[in-house]
Formats: sequence, C-alpha cells, structure tokens
Amino acid sequence: MEMLGVLNNISLLPVAALDVGHHLYWQIGGLKIHGQVLITSWFVIAALLGVSVLATRNMQRVPGGLQNLLEYALEYIRELARNQIGEKEYRPWVPFIGTLFLFIFVSNWSGALLPWKLLHLPESELAAPTNDINTTVALALLTSLAYFYAGFRKRGIGYIAKYIEPTPILLPINILEDFTKPLSLSFRLFGNILADELVVGVLVLLVPLFIPLPVMVLGLFTSAIQALVFATLAAAYIGEAIEGHGEHEEEH
Amino acid sequence: MMFQFIPLVAAAAAAAEPVAKEGGLFDFNATLPIMMIQFIVLTTLLNSLFYKPVGKMLDDRDEYIRTNSAGGEDRLAEAKKLTQQYETELADARRQSQAVIAEAKAAAQKIASDELATAQQAAQAEKEKASKEIADQKQAAFSTLEKDVDALSQQILSKLVNV
Repeated sequence: MEMLGVLNNISLLPVAALDVGHHLYWQIGGLKIHGQVLITSWFVIAALLGVSVLATRNMQRVPGGLQNLLEYALEYIRELARNQIGEKEYRPWVPFIGTLFLFIFVSNWSGALLPWKLLHLPESELAAPTNDINTTVALALLTSLAYFYAGFRKRGIGYIAKYIEPTPILLPINILEDFTKPLSLSFRLFGNILADELVVGVLVLLVPLFIPLPVMVLGLFTSAIQALVFATLAAAYIGEAIEGHGEHEEEH
Repeated sequence: MMFQFIPLVAAAAAAAEPVAKEGGLFDFNATLPIMMIQFIVLTTLLNSLFYKPVGKMLDDRDEYIRTNSAGGEDRLAEAKKLTQQYETELADARRQSQAVIAEAKAAAQKIASDELATAQQAAQAEKEKASKEIADQKQAAFSTLEKDVDALSQQILSKLVNV
C-alpha cells in the first residue's frame, strides 16, 4: 500500500492518481461500510429519481424533452424484457430489469464522465459504484433471488424438477449453475468497470493529454455494453426459470 | 518516463493480490446488504415514479392511435369509395359530352354541306342563265350585223351604178 502512496506523490496531476483497494470506512454499530460507494450510489439514485420526477410531472400525449427520453428508455427496456422473457410474462419484470439497466448504466457513465476525483475524501476516492465488488454482488444476488422467485411462482414446487432436466445426470451441473450465474454476473461487471478505470488511470498517468481520450471513449462504450449485458442476462435467467428449458413450449 | 513506470507495475501487483488486512479489492462488508436494500427501494420508487406513469402513457397512446387509425381506415375506405363513384360519374359525363360534341359536329357538318350544295346549285343555275343570255345577245348582234351588211352593200351598189 505504501507503493500506492508513492505513486500518488509522484504523479504529475493529482486528478490522475491511481487508488485501488482503499476504502472510506464508515461504522454503523459493529458494521463497516464503504462510504465512497454509497455516496456515489446515492448520487446515481438521486439522479434517476430526479429525472423521473421532472419528466413525469407534466406528461403530454405528444412527448417532448425529458418525457421523450424516458419513453424511449422504457420502450427499450420493455423490448429487452419481452425478447428475453416472452410476450406473456414480461410485464411484471420490467421494473426490476429496467432498474438494473438504468442503475448500472448511470453508475458506469457517472464514473466515466463526472470528475469525481476533484472531490477529495480523507481516504479512497469517488468512482462508479459498480467498481466495488459489494455493489455488483448485491445486484447479482438480487438477480438470483428474482429468478428463483419467478420460477417458484410460475411453476410452484415443480420448479425443482428443472434440476434433473433433461437427465438426472446433469443434476450437479444444474446446481452449479445457480452459483456460477451470480458469480459471473457480478465479476463481469466489477472487472470490466474496474479495469476500464484502471486503464484510463494508468494512461493518464503516463501521457496526460489526448492519448487517453480514445480509451475513455472505449470505456464509455464498454460501460454501456456492460449495463446492457447485465440486464439482458438477468432477463434471460428469469425467462429461463419461467419457461423451463423450453419443453413447455408446446403448451403455450 | 521510467521512474513513473516502475511504481506503476508495483501498484498493479499490489492491486492484484488480495490484501489480508482491511481494504483491498474483495472487501465484502455491510455495503452489500445496504446496496441490496437501496436497489429494492430504488426499484419500487422508480416503479411508481417512472415505469407506471410512463408505461400508462405509452399504452394509452397505443390505444389512442389504434382507435384513431381504425377510424381513419374507415374514412379512407369511404373516401376511396367516393372517389370511385366520382370517377365513374366523371367518365359518364365525359362520354356524354363527347357524344354531344360529336352530334353537334355532325349536325354542323350536315348544315354546312347542305348550304354548300344549295349554293353550288344556285351558282350553277346562275351560270347557265348567264351563258344562255350571252348566246342570245350574240345571236341578236349577228342578225343586226347582217342587216347592216345588206343595207351597206345596197348603198355601195347604188352608188356604183349611178356613177
């Protein structure tokens, strides 16, 4: 960790310092919390709620401005959910999948676009909430809960039967899947966002001007794609839990 | 550049290995459940602030467009029917007008040819009359001339005999 301190000292631009693995700790009771993650997540939540309130305050049949933006976003999310879950069942899942997408997307872009590092914290630094493993695991676990809930609600106790489909030999693999799904979801998002911020940070450290710009643009692209991937996979898992492995297709 | 790069590698190494004490990349703590609760709250709030009202707006608009487009289609069909009717009427009227024109043309033609024929006849008659008059007058002139010749020759003869 002293190495990081050295690194911070010698860097030419204080904005470009690398800061990995440091956290701003808050204590609540005996529990420790990463303050920097919560601060940015509150900002993201406030931004989402603020835009929603502003856009829906005075809605018109012919949309304009923010309303248009939100309608576009909602249509996009509905399309995504409908493609993965199916026309019949997708509607109750739109809020969950939409919030996943919007929260991750706004988090990632706020980390990439807003100059958080101008605000100095006693420890650590502000960045996208999604570059903390706690956030991504929280979202992934919620996704797991969501698809279990979806499966049990739709198919009752018969949902367990999917573990021995198509043959009981696949039972271990099917059980393993329930662990790999949240694991891959959370680590994919965490790794991509952290790696992107690190690459930009390192490049800014080496060549402060202009050269990192293409990487930053690429970072914006990756961030958007990661939000889409997370939401799409969550929807796909829910759709799979509702449908079974496709063998109930004929009944529809 | 080098003196910057060496600590960077060290930093990367430090970042890669999980730190045993407090901190590090994989530092799970109470942030995780708090984030889950925050996210659920955000989902409920966005549901009532965003998805429900905007979704209702979208569905209402779809409904509005569907009813209106159904009405529009009806009116379009009606308009098409009317157009067809008008077009048949127009074609009828055109045909009638053509017939009227043809009739009028034929009548005019007939009148013109009749007039022409009478005029030609009249001219012919006039011409015949004129040539007949000329012939008569010629005849009369010849007869007077003959008489004159006779008288003159008598006179000449008497003068010659007297001398």
